[in-house]
Amino acid sequence: MLHTLNCSPEHPALQDCLKLLRAEDALLLLGDGVYLALAQCSNGQALQATGAALYVLEADARAAGVHARLALGFNVVDDAGFVALTERHARQMAWY
Amino acid sequence: MSAAARKSVLVVTRHAQPARSLARAALDTALATAAFEQPVNLLFLGAGVLQLIPHQDSSAVGVRNLRKVIDSMPLYDVEHCYVDTDAAQRHGLTTADLPSGAILVDVAAQRALFDAHHHILGF
Repeated sequence: MLHTLNCSPEHPALQDCLKLLRAEDALLLLGDGVYLALAQCSNGQALQATGAALYVLEADARAAGVHARLALGFNVVDDAGFVALTERHARQMAWY
Repeated sequence: MSAAARKSVLVVTRHAQPARSLARAALDTALATAAFEQPVNLLFLGAGVLQLIPHQDSSAVGVRNLRKVIDSMPLYDVEHCYVDTDAAQRHGLTTADLPSGAILVDVAAQRALFDAHHHILGF
């Protein structure tokens, strides 16, 4: 299934999401969630440890200045890429 | 409505009272879904379990008692109330505090609920 995460790295929604994220899932970071894709972010490393496919929304990453310092393992997608993810996954959960 | 046209919905509510409008929106969504004869279940996750604290008195703040709305859910065909076991424990809620018929679910059971519904709506 697809998860979207829109919260700062300090927000409890992250922990709720981490508990239910599985290796076969995809996770898209958007809004304040893009900060989790920063290299050196320990919470971002926790996301990587789940084995889920990780994506970050390009426009939001650019707006936050995160695009130039992304951790390895996060794939940048534009809006069309976001739509494609929703087509690939039957279920979607929004964490915010 | 034919069974084939039915899509099961899991309403996941994760915010406590201060975000009251979100908590209320989750309940309204569950009720509306049931009104359209779609199978619907509620999952109280994380801070959402704080909505279940009994003996709420919201008369002084001029809004409806959320717990009473939650207790009325079975009357309106919202099938089950599922409650995050860890969060309930963390916030000191015992089985006696929970709405009648509420089902405690651990992380594995929560995930199974996600996988068992056609749609998931997060609040």
